[in-house]
Amino acid sequence: MTKKNRIVVICPGRGSYTSETLGYLKQCRDNPVVADFLADIDQRRAQLGEPTISELDNATNFSPSRHTRGENASTLIYACSFADFASIDLEKNEIVAITGNSMGWYLALGFAGSLDWAGAFELINTMGSMMKDKIIGGQLIYPVVDGDWRFSPELQQTVSRAIDDARAAGGQVHPSIHLGGYAVIGGDSVGLNYLMKNLPKLEHYPLQLINHAAFHTPLLRETSERAFASIPGSIFHRPRVPMIDGRGQIWQPWSTDVNDLYDYTLGHQVHEIYDFTRAVTVALKEFAPDQLYLLGPGNSLGGAIGQVLVANQWQGIKSKADFSAVQKSRPFLVSMGLRNSSRTP
Amino acid sequence: MFNRAEVIDQNFSRFVREGKLPAERSSTGLAQSGLRPADLMDLFESQMISRHLDLIARVLKNENLCYYTIGSSGHEGNAALGKVFRLTDMAFLHYRSGGFMIQRAKQVPGTTPVYDTMLSFFASTEEPIAGGRHKVFGSLPLLVPPQTSTIASHLPKAVGAALSIHRAHAMGIESVMPADAVVDCTFGDASANHSTAIGAINMASWVGYQNIPLPLVFTCEDNGIGISVATPDQWVERNFSGRPAIKYYAADGLSLLDTYKVGEEAVRYARERRKPVFLHVKTVRLMGHAGSDMENSYRSFPQIEEVEFQDPLLHSARLVLENGLASPEELVNMYEQVRERVRHVAAAAMERPQLSDPAEVRSTITACVHKRKAPPIPSEADRQAAFGGSDWAKTKIPLHMAKLINLGLHDILLRYKNTVIFGEDVAQKGGVYNVTDGLFKKFGAKRVFNSLLDEQSILGTGIGMAHNGFVPIPEIQFLAYFHNAEDQIRGEAATLPFFSQGQFTNPMVLRIAGLAYQKGFGGHFHNDNSLAVLRDIPGIIIAVPSTGADAVKMMRSCVREAYENGRVVVFIEPIALYMTRDLNVEGDKVWCAEYPAPEDEIPVGEFGVHRSGAAGEVADLTILTYGNGYYYSRQASEVLVKEHGKKVKVIDLRWIAPIDMDKVAKEIGSSRRVLVVEECRKTGSLSEYLVSALVERMDPLPRIKVVAADDCFIPLGRAAAAGLPKKEEILAGALELLRDHSKAPARKQVETV
Repeated sequence: MTKKNRIVVICPGRGSYTSETLGYLKQCRDNPVVADFLADIDQRRAQLGEPTISELDNATNFSPSRHTRGENASTLIYACSFADFASIDLEKNEIVAITGNSMGWYLALGFAGSLDWAGAFELINTMGSMMKDKIIGGQLIYPVVDGDWRFSPELQQTVSRAIDDARAAGGQVHPSIHLGGYAVIGGDSVGLNYLMKNLPKLEHYPLQLINHAAFHTPLLRETSERAFASIPGSIFHRPRVPMIDGRGQIWQPWSTDVNDLYDYTLGHQVHEIYDFTRAVTVALKEFAPDQLYLLGPGNSLGGAIGQVLVANQWQGIKSKADFSAVQKSRPFLVSMGLRNSSRTP
Repeated sequence: MFNRAEVIDQNFSRFVREGKLPAERSSTGLAQSGLRPADLMDLFESQMISRHLDLIARVLKNENLCYYTIGSSGHEGNAALGKVFRLTDMAFLHYRSGGFMIQRAKQVPGTTPVYDTMLSFFASTEEPIAGGRHKVFGSLPLLVPPQTSTIASHLPKAVGAALSIHRAHAMGIESVMPADAVVDCTFGDASANHSTAIGAINMASWVGYQNIPLPLVFTCEDNGIGISVATPDQWVERNFSGRPAIKYYAADGLSLLDTYKVGEEAVRYARERRKPVFLHVKTVRLMGHAGSDMENSYRSFPQIEEVEFQDPLLHSARLVLENGLASPEELVNMYEQVRERVRHVAAAAMERPQLSDPAEVRSTITACVHKRKAPPIPSEADRQAAFGGSDWAKTKIPLHMAKLINLGLHDILLRYKNTVIFGEDVAQKGGVYNVTDGLFKKFGAKRVFNSLLDEQSILGTGIGMAHNGFVPIPEIQFLAYFHNAEDQIRGEAATLPFFSQGQFTNPMVLRIAGLAYQKGFGGHFHNDNSLAVLRDIPGIIIAVPSTGADAVKMMRSCVREAYENGRVVVFIEPIALYMTRDLNVEGDKVWCAEYPAPEDEIPVGEFGVHRSGAAGEVADLTILTYGNGYYYSRQASEVLVKEHGKKVKVIDLRWIAPIDMDKVAKEIGSSRRVLVVEECRKTGSLSEYLVSALVERMDPLPRIKVVAADDCFIPLGRAAAAGLPKKEEILAGALELLRDHSKAPARKQVETV
């Protein structure tokens, strides 16, 4: 018996469904599991009076205001990731752990079996809809690595100083995600405007993320309380596969306490910093996978994951160029969103 | 048959499937344990990880890929204690603490204990604590200072660390542990017989008996055997269950539930009562002492099998099955999944860079990650108030060394709020030679206190307190007493930065009154003239002042080095010079000095030069010496200059580690004759190094002669200084050297008398 390829699956976050991924699901319907899943999720959306995922994905044009709205984007991304996840050949691959970035944690819960279809839909759709009436704060992104993806203490210092200055100027800003070579900062409009104006321009950074609330910051404490009030703990189960959360904590199938999982998911995960860098680092070091599988849509986390590999000098990858070379010769990171892009018309 | 690791490994799956599991040894059930079902499974996973780390280490060792096989098999129940102790409870762990470390790491999300342990097996530079310098259990984020733990030499410092908790908070100094912390210290049953263990437990008892807060848990993991020697039945219970002021608890280390429950009780007692505890955890030892240890040479096959059947993993399997938390097949799957995970992590860790370059190895000897700046010198008004009227007045008049050091300590205690002075008789009595006179009264019992009469405990107290934010200034009453305890500096204090890459340091200034020449008083044990034991310890600073003013200025540098750079410093005070006032004739007071201004320091390594001629003038003779040797060399030099018309330069090394020999050679310059005056014994003393270092550096080589102490112990009475270099011996040696030897062959240029 040949040994299976040991993989860690990484679930994408909110910004991954873009104009380039429109129609992502069209060719996935050949897979009966995906077809069933889409029928199920469309029905649930319809019952809530929301546009169905198929409708959104099949739209002729990408509409930022429509497709990136939390209540649409979250579930749309979930569906695309589901399609990719379902296409992983489990005869050849063994999934040794699942992790994700930001809302990718909810997807991880779903794919690891901690939530069934109904539970995953409830969590993802509810959390995605939390900002339906009014988005609390926002997020921006700024690099803390140089052009070769090596950590830059100077840029880190620039960010830290800018955060201090924005606070002194009356803004509320907080680091929200450690995203490989990027700092994601969440905050209110005063704080973010200050940062947009005062952070030195580096290519297209600082970049404000459209329709992103200030998740993973204290500004979302109240959202967390609403989530606890509206989502029951009973939807959570022990996972079938190890999961790695936004602190780098491993949740094992045999030792997960579902109450703890519920508390983390709607508490800490919502209003404390999300350390995607640490999650991927733990995946590398504590599971030593043969490959990382990044689920689609798109490949927006590909760079961040590459930067984590550089930071850890994993498999001899010490720079952006090394990463590109490895990806060409014997890809360590399999970006399913790229591979599946041929499906996009 | 005799790869017992394989047998034990296979037994797990076989016995679990067959339901052939060991009977319970303790009755604590899940409900009484305080653990949730998920917690029990989590602890069991930590046990399995620890086991598979042991198993793979053996496999890799056979392939010469791994450097360490002393494992934790049989002790994996200590995972429960990894959950009981808080992250803020400093843990000094012995080498069978795999389960504990894995579990403790789970308290900090994002840690990578499996990978980190594998890195340590391969001596990788990326291993986070020692960087490949040893396979030790240690971690800064987990508050586990690393040490080798093989001879229980970590127990005395655990006592010191525990003693420091209450004191740090009472004194308001910045400390590592919070006020409600306890200290954990683990060791084996055989190790409990080490004098270090006995001494530490005795000190804990002595302290607790006086109701001084000492929140400490001695965790004795008793597997019943030390390498091949069985621990007598009931020995640990009988030996340690009745110690005054130490509460004894016994736990079944094979049961996670009992270990957790009893551990909780023991730790709660230590935390709430601030008292020491002896937690006796009964385990077994599987797979021999280490990979190379063949148990069949001292245990019968049935005995081996009997012990193996008590495998704590089998006990845990029984608990899990009894509570319906998993099926046998699920447990076997879990065991195999952990194996696969460890195996793959091992393969990844094996690829990481390994330590090989000697310069890289040495680079952490004096490393210090947490450097800090010395506090400012207090105002004159504050100093005056602290000194008190009488002592303040003395700062303006010439004084001998003992009093000058005493005044210097006033300034240090005032300036550095985290310094403490302790040792035998240092408090109310003020020390045997009054060097600490008045400090107890002026700075209080928290900062100046008497220790019990045990040098090992004194040094351990210093090391432990230093782990928690103090800069201790312990005193060893006489140099000969230091030898009783020197491994605390050699094996513990000096190695801490090395094994932790400076993440942990134990800064201290150890004062030792020593060396010979007391006028007939005391004999060997009060006149010991051996410093060799200190000289070869990498990384420590050794000061040997010869005058009172130098002593004060050097002491200030010592404390600064300890405070700012985390250094371990030994400060040797020559007893015979404590009260010496005169040099050449009675009443000349050349050896007295006024108290140096508070900003005056002599930097580490800076030597002093006394020359008879003008600066730059080539000396006929250069004397290279330190301590008492400098004093007597100055007497001899006076004669050489005045009666023989010679130009003489006397170099007082002041610091015998480190020594910048290039600078010394430069100072000798064109001087063609060098006399090394060494008050320690000829063999193994500093003089050997000085001569070899000069030979290596100087070309042309000057004529060199050594006048050193006899290879003998110091007698009592009139003969006390008989074998020591004094004015006469030095003078004779110098004159011999100064005779015209121009015709002598080059290879006879070095002589020793």
